[in-house]
Amino acid sequence: MTSASINSGGRVFAVALALAGWFVKFVAVVLVIATFNFILVHAAPGDPAQVIAGQSGASDEKLLAQLRAEYGLDKPYPIQLANYLKRVVTLDLGYSYRQQRTVASLILERLPATLLLTATAFTLALLSGIILGTLAGVRAGKWSDTLLTIVSLLLYATPVFWLGLMLVLLFSVQLDWLPAFGYVTIGVPMTSLQRMGDIGMHLILPAVSLAAVYLAIYTRLMRSSVLDVTHQDFIKTAKAKGLKQGRIIIRHILRNAMLPIVTVAGMQAGALVGGAVVIETVFAWPGLGRLIYDALLQRDYPVLLGVFLVMSVIVIALNLLTDTIYRVIDPRVSVRAAS
Amino acid sequence: MMSTLKSFLRHPTGMIGLFVLLAVVILAVSAPWLFPDDPWDMVGAPFQPPLSEGLWLGSDMLGRDVAAGIAHGARISLIIGVISTLTSLIIGVTIGATAGYFGGKVDEVMMRITELFQTIPGFILAILLVATLGPKISNVIFAIGIVSWPPLARLTRAEFMRLRGREFVQAAVCQGQRPLTVVLRRILPNAISPIIVTGSLAVASAILIESALSFMGLGDPNLMSWGFMIGAARTVIRQAWWMSVFPGLAILLTVLAINLVGEGLNDVMNPRISRRR
Amino acid sequence: MNRREFAKLMGVSAVALSGIPLGITRAAGQTKGGTLNTIIQPEPPILVTALNQQQPTLTLGGKIYESLLRYSPDLKPMPGIAQSWEVSPDGLTYTFKLFPGITFHDGKPLTSEDVVFSMTKMLPETHARARAIYSRIDKAETPDPLTVIFKMKAPFAPFLTALDCTTGPIVPKHIYDGSDFRKNPANAQAIGSGPFKLKEWVKGSHVHLVRHEGYYRKDEPYLDEVIYRIIPDAASRSLALEQGKIQLTQWNDIEFYDVARLSKLPNYEMTTKGYEYFAPHQWLELNNRVKPMDDKRFRQAIAHALDLKSMAQRVYFGMPKIATGPVSSKTRFYEKDVKRYDYSLEKAKALLDEMGLKPGADGKRVTLKYLIPPYGEVYQRAGEFIRQTLGRVGIDIQLENTDVGGWADKFSNWDYEMTGNLVYQYGDPALGVSRTYISSNIKKGILFSNTAGYSNPEVDKLFDEAASATDDTRRQELYSKVQKILVEDVPVIWMFEAAYPTFIDKRLKNVTSTGVGVHESFSSVSFG
Repeated sequence: MTSASINSGGRVFAVALALAGWFVKFVAVVLVIATFNFILVHAAPGDPAQVIAGQSGASDEKLLAQLRAEYGLDKPYPIQLANYLKRVVTLDLGYSYRQQRTVASLILERLPATLLLTATAFTLALLSGIILGTLAGVRAGKWSDTLLTIVSLLLYATPVFWLGLMLVLLFSVQLDWLPAFGYVTIGVPMTSLQRMGDIGMHLILPAVSLAAVYLAIYTRLMRSSVLDVTHQDFIKTAKAKGLKQGRIIIRHILRNAMLPIVTVAGMQAGALVGGAVVIETVFAWPGLGRLIYDALLQRDYPVLLGVFLVMSVIVIALNLLTDTIYRVIDPRVSVRAAS
Repeated sequence: MMSTLKSFLRHPTGMIGLFVLLAVVILAVSAPWLFPDDPWDMVGAPFQPPLSEGLWLGSDMLGRDVAAGIAHGARISLIIGVISTLTSLIIGVTIGATAGYFGGKVDEVMMRITELFQTIPGFILAILLVATLGPKISNVIFAIGIVSWPPLARLTRAEFMRLRGREFVQAAVCQGQRPLTVVLRRILPNAISPIIVTGSLAVASAILIESALSFMGLGDPNLMSWGFMIGAARTVIRQAWWMSVFPGLAILLTVLAINLVGEGLNDVMNPRISRRR
Repeated sequence: MNRREFAKLMGVSAVALSGIPLGITRAAGQTKGGTLNTIIQPEPPILVTALNQQQPTLTLGGKIYESLLRYSPDLKPMPGIAQSWEVSPDGLTYTFKLFPGITFHDGKPLTSEDVVFSMTKMLPETHARARAIYSRIDKAETPDPLTVIFKMKAPFAPFLTALDCTTGPIVPKHIYDGSDFRKNPANAQAIGSGPFKLKEWVKGSHVHLVRHEGYYRKDEPYLDEVIYRIIPDAASRSLALEQGKIQLTQWNDIEFYDVARLSKLPNYEMTTKGYEYFAPHQWLELNNRVKPMDDKRFRQAIAHALDLKSMAQRVYFGMPKIATGPVSSKTRFYEKDVKRYDYSLEKAKALLDEMGLKPGADGKRVTLKYLIPPYGEVYQRAGEFIRQTLGRVGIDIQLENTDVGGWADKFSNWDYEMTGNLVYQYGDPALGVSRTYISSNIKKGILFSNTAGYSNPEVDKLFDEAASATDDTRRQELYSKVQKILVEDVPVIWMFEAAYPTFIDKRLKNVTSTGVGVHESFSSVSFG
C-alpha cells in the first residue's frame, strides 16, 4: 500500500470515529434535555385543561375532566415522562393542545425560517469576521485597524434586540429601504424568484442584527490570531524565501489563524441560537424562536419540549459543522497527506 | 496589588471604561436626588418628544419620564448584574475547582455536566426557567447564574490544573493539609486574577441577558429596568423613537465600560497572555 | 321567497308578547360580488364553533354556521334560520318555524332534526355555556321538518336571547350523530349552513371562504368570497390596513394606540359598534376573602380612588365607556340610577381612615398583590396605572406577571388578591351577569364563575326570581333592585364597557348590522 492510501484510509477511519462520537453525544444530550425540561415544565403551576376551557368564555368541571382525559394529563408524571421519551426516540414529539396539530408538524413548519436566519447569521459573522479580522491584523496599527477595533468594541457591547430595533428605525421607519418585520410581503402575488428575493429582503435586517455581536468577536479574535501567526517562524521563513504577500496570507496565515475562530464559533453556537429567539420576536420572524415564546405564553408543554429539543440539536449540528470545517482546513492534516 | 493598580491607572482604554462606569454608578446612587419622583409616575402627557418641558429625554405612552426611568434603572441593572455574576461565580468556581483539584473521574463527570450546559442554548434555558418559576427578580438572578457559570468553571479548572502541579501546592498536600485548606489558602489566591477578569466581563454579559429577558416581558414588573423600557417601546417605535434609543444607549455604554475595564485588568494582571496592541 | 310572502308568514305567527320587528334590511339594489379581505388574530385552532368557543373561531365560524335567531344592536330578536317563533304565555313552550330550502354546504337539507340534535345532543356536550342554558330544555319535538318545539323545565325568559350563532350554532346531524364529536374527520371541512363555506385553509397564511350557492335567502350572500388573513404581528396588521390590503378589522387586530392615527385614513370608518351582544365588561376584581377587601368600605375607597376618566384616556386612548355597575349599558335591563363613585382621593382616604387603616411611616396603609392578566401589553399598562393611582391613597400594589395557564390556575383557585377581569354579558343579565355574583356559582377551579367570593342572599334571590320571571316589566324591576344593591356593596370595581375598534372600508354595507357585529354571517354585506 502506498503512504497515500494508508493515510486516506486513516482519514476515513478518523472521520467515522468522530461521527460515531458525535452521535453518542447527540443521543445523550437529547435524552438528558428531554428529561430535564420535562421536569422543569411540569414543576410549574398552571393547569392546561383550565386554559383551554377558560378561553371559551365559560368553563365547568365536566369539560375540564373531558379535556384532561383526552390529553392524558391525569396520569402520574413518571408514566408521562416514560411515554414521552419513548415517543421522542421514534421522532414523535407529541400533539399540541392549543394548535390542534402534531408538534412535529409545527416544528417542521417553522424550522426552515429559523435555519435560514441562523445559518445566514452564522455564515455572515464567520466570513466577515475572518475577512475583517485578517484585514485588521495585516494592517495592524493603521487607522483602518483602529476603526475596526472600535466598531467591534461597540458592537460587542450592544444588546442584540436593541440593535435590531435601531436598524429598523433607520432602514425601515426613516429610509424605508427595507421591510421592518415578517417573512414575506402579504397579499402580493409573486413568482418563485420574486418570492425568494422578497424573503431575502426581509432577511437582511434580522440576519445582520443577529450576526453583529459574533462578527465583533470573530473580528477581534481573528485579528490577534493573525498577529500571532504572522510573527511565527515559518511565516518569517516564507517571507525570507521571497513568497508574495498575498500568497503568504492565504496559504499560510489564514489557514492557521482561522482554527481558533472556528473553534470559538462552535462554542458560540448555543448563544447564536438563543439570540435567534430574541431576533425573531423583534422582527416577527416566523421561526422556532417565536414558536417557543408563544408556547410559553400558552403553557403548551409538548411544543415547549419539542422546540427546546430541536434547538439543542441545531446547536449540536453547528458544533459538528465547525468540527468538520476545522478538520478540513487544519494544515497539519493536509501536509501529512501531501508528503 | 498596588503595582497592579498603578499599572491599571496608566492603561488608557481601561481608564476610559472606569470613568464611564463610575459615572453610571454615580447616576444610580444619586437617582433619588436627581429624580425624586417615582419613575412609574405619570408626570406628563404621553409621547412627548425629548427636550419637552421638564422631560429631557421625553415621555412614554403613559406619560412617564424616560430620563427618570434610565436613572433609576441604572440601579436595577447594576445590582442584578453583580449579584447574578456572584451566583455564577459561586457555582462555576466550585465546580471548576473540584474538577481541577481532584482530576480523574470527578473531573470527567464535572466536565460532562459543563459541556452539557454549554450545548444547551443558554438564553432559551433562562427563558424557560424564568417563565416556569415566575418573573421575579430572584428568579431572574438565579436563571442568569445558572446559564453563565460554564465559562467560569472551565477557567477555574484550567487554572487549578495548572497550579496543582506546583511545588508549594504539593508541599501543602504532603504536609497533610485538608483539601479545602489547600484550595482556599494556596491555589485560589494565585488563580484569582483570571477569575476576576472573567468575572467582571460576566457582569457585562449578565446585564445583557437581564435586559433581553425584561425586553421579552419576563422581567419583574415592579422594577423599571432598561430592558423593560425598550420592551415597552417596541410596538410604538414609529411614534416614539426616544423610548427605545436612550435606554439602549445606557445599556451599551455601561456594558462597554465594563468590558474596557475588564480587558484593562486582563492586560495588566496577565501580561504574558495579553495580546500585542 | 320574496318580501311579500315573508311578511305574510310573519303576520300568521304573531306572538303573544311584543311584535317581532322585521330584521332583514335590504337596501334597494345592493351590489353583488367582490372579495372581502380581513384579518383573523390569533389563528383559530379549528373552525367548528360547536367545538371551540374562542374568539377567532367564533368570528370566522359565524359565516359558516348559523343559529335560530339573530339580534339587533339593541338586542331584539330577529330571524336567523328560524323565520318566526312563538312563546307560550306560561313561558314553557317555544315554537320555531324554519325557513324552507335551507341546505348544508354538502347539499343535504337542514331540518328540525338537525336543530334538535345540535341543541340537545351535541352542544350540551361540547359547549359549556350552551350546556348551562340548553340543559333547561325538558323535551324537544319535531312535528315536521320545518318546525321545532322546545318544552322547558321551568320558565326561563333569557332563553330567547341565547340563540345566536355563538351560543347555538346548528350542525349537520347526518355527520355528527353517533360519532366522536371532537375527532370527527368532517371537522376539517366545517360543514354548516351559513352563507359562506370553507374552500381552503392554508395554516399560518389565510382561510378562504366562498359563497354557498344554495343559500336560502334570496340574493344573499352578496359577496363572492371572504378571505381571513393571518397576521400575528400588530405592526404588520396596521400596515396592511394602511396599504388597503384589508377592508375590515375587529377586536384587537388594531392596537389602541394606533386607532387615532388610522382613524384619519380617508377610506375607512372606525366604529365601536358590533359588540353589543357580548358587551365585554371590564373590572378590577378583588378577592373578597382577603383582608381588607372583605370590608365594603375598603372596596368603596378603591372605587373613589381610581381615576377612570384618566385611565380611559391614557391606557385605552379614549376608546371605552366608563362602567357604572355590574350590568353594561348595552345589555337588557340596565339600570343607570345607581350610586356613583366619583373620583375623590379625599373620600377614599376618609373611608380608609374610618376603617382604621392608617398610613405607616412610608405612607403605606396596606400592601396587596395585583396579578396582571396575561393577554397583552395593554393589560400591563393598566396594571401599572392602577398601581400608581392606588399608591396615592396609601394602597401599595405589587404587580405580578404570569402566563395564561398560571393566571387561569391562580385566579380560578382563588390564589390571588387583585386582578383584572373581562367578562361577556350575552345580552341578558341571567346569561352573563348573574354568574359573577350569585352564591351558587362560587366554584373553585372554574374561570368566570363567582371568583370574588361575594355572597348576599338577597342578591341571590333577586337574580333567581328575575331569571324565571316571564314579564319584562317585572324583570326590569328586579334587576334594577339588584343593581342598586350590588353597586352599594361594590364587590368588584367596575371600570369599563370595553370597546374595540372595528375598521370598515367605506364601500362596505351592513357589516355591523346586528348585536354580534362581525361574528354575524355577513349574508347581507356588500360592496356598495
